[in-house]
Amino acid sequence: MGKARLSELATTIRSKNAGVNQITFDVIFPDRETYRRVVRSQVLTRASVARYFGIPPERISDFVEFDVANAIKFTLYRLRPGGSPGDWDILGCQQYGPLLEIEVD
Amino acid sequence: MRKRTMRVLISTGHLGTAPSSPDSFRRGMETDPDYVVADAGSSDPGPVYLGEDMQLGLFAREELELFLTASRQRGIPLIIGSAGDSGSNRAVDLFVGMIKEIAGQHRIPRFKVGHFYSEVAKSFLKQRLARGAQLAGLGGFPALDEEEIDRATRIVAVAGIHPFVKLLDMGADVIIGGRCGDINFTAAPCIRAGFPEALAYHMGKMIECASLVAEPFMGKETVIGTISHDDIKITPYHPDQRCTIASVAGHSMYERENPYYEHTLGGTLDMRACRYEQYDERTCRITGAQWFPSAQLRVKIEGARKVGERYMGFVGVRDPHIVQHIDAAIEWCRGSVARRFAHERYELYFHVFGKNGVMGELEPVKEIRGHELGIVVEGLADTAELAEKLTDYAVRMFFLARIPGVKGTAGTAATTKKTMRSSPGYVWNVNHTVPIDDPLELFPVHLVEAGV
Repeated sequence: MGKARLSELATTIRSKNAGVNQITFDVIFPDRETYRRVVRSQVLTRASVARYFGIPPERISDFVEFDVANAIKFTLYRLRPGGSPGDWDILGCQQYGPLLEIEVD
Repeated sequence: MRKRTMRVLISTGHLGTAPSSPDSFRRGMETDPDYVVADAGSSDPGPVYLGEDMQLGLFAREELELFLTASRQRGIPLIIGSAGDSGSNRAVDLFVGMIKEIAGQHRIPRFKVGHFYSEVAKSFLKQRLARGAQLAGLGGFPALDEEEIDRATRIVAVAGIHPFVKLLDMGADVIIGGRCGDINFTAAPCIRAGFPEALAYHMGKMIECASLVAEPFMGKETVIGTISHDDIKITPYHPDQRCTIASVAGHSMYERENPYYEHTLGGTLDMRACRYEQYDERTCRITGAQWFPSAQLRVKIEGARKVGERYMGFVGVRDPHIVQHIDAAIEWCRGSVARRFAHERYELYFHVFGKNGVMGELEPVKEIRGHELGIVVEGLADTAELAEKLTDYAVRMFFLARIPGVKGTAGTAATTKKTMRSSPGYVWNVNHTVPIDDPLELFPVHLVEAGV
């Protein structure tokens, strides 16, 4: 099995507000096998996600491998609450873009 | 006689932002559901709606007209939560007024409209503080103190099922709720009818965004949740949508920090042991949620603080040299504004689309790959006059940016219209919980009549 991009493996990759001060990311896979492959690859972990967005790991409030939905979910704290002056993504719904390009073994 | 099942219809995730699709709504209504519900608010669009007490949804009246006429025709109770986006007292009154007006226009026979308010007096919160209560922060906020309470423009409390249940007990046919948790207007009638709390709250969670629980992705389509004493079932009414295990389990984690817990006034819904099964071609069956009542009642409060009046200006950059030196151009603008308005209080932001305008500090792509940039200059100050002046000045300084090596000497940015007034700037400054003695304490209920 060659390398694949996350966008080729996941059915849903999204971000959205979770309360006024956090943004949550859902990466959902079509089946158990693909989900396990990505979990095993360790491309999405608390540490890798923090590195990816260039933030300290403390900014990641939750990180869950959600077996029942074949999904990986993580949540990070915003620098300032959503909708504050200077914020351009009030719903937090366009923060997932870079995840599509992550390469998985 | 105890009902064996109850069915709740919902057609929109946010009443008023865009109209519900009429076809799946009609198809759902033809099956005679027990309740029609809708969420009309959220904290998602930001603090300005609560702070300014203004409306986001421009289709609220059309939606209420559709829901009210269809539900009254069949004698089905209608429950709306978080009226007018923020759930402010004015928004509740506005919605009650619309209900009365629509009822009059359509000559709907007399019915009872229940409503409750959810704005919280600052004096109440200060009393709690004085009694030694902790006003604990949510989502990383520090504990709330008196000074921050005073800085809030408006504060609402987030209701549980209790005012809805109370109003149904009082005989309401239509309920217009102030701010409430989005699972509660569905859970309330189910719990009142004797269904298990865990299943009732979980059904509230699963259907609060209507058709977003189904696949493929479609908004504003109708779904119906069916609760029994053992399970809940979710069925979409758009013919091309299905509720699958994947879509429903996937939706169970939507817009929350983690997929396992949902906190609301009165307790916590625990979804760790939930099971999802394909019940039929289009319906997903869910079991296994648990409900843990809280030892102490704590209600969530939300409040917004005004930062200032706001203007926005727009500029574009095409010269590749300036594109590559955009940070220097912005520094030049910032410095110019800082010198000119040295003694004023203001905030100034540059949103650089083509670089990191959407993601800001979270953007991992550092190099600029496009051939042009769009920049929104956002300026705030205490008065509109000053906000306009300094934002416009920042835009002019972009035009006059002094960047070594620029070939063009007629202007370093393309500008367009006049710098435009935007909504005032607000920040969420209250995102906390406060202990209360009675779950109805902050939510006074009222019943009025409408119709002819």
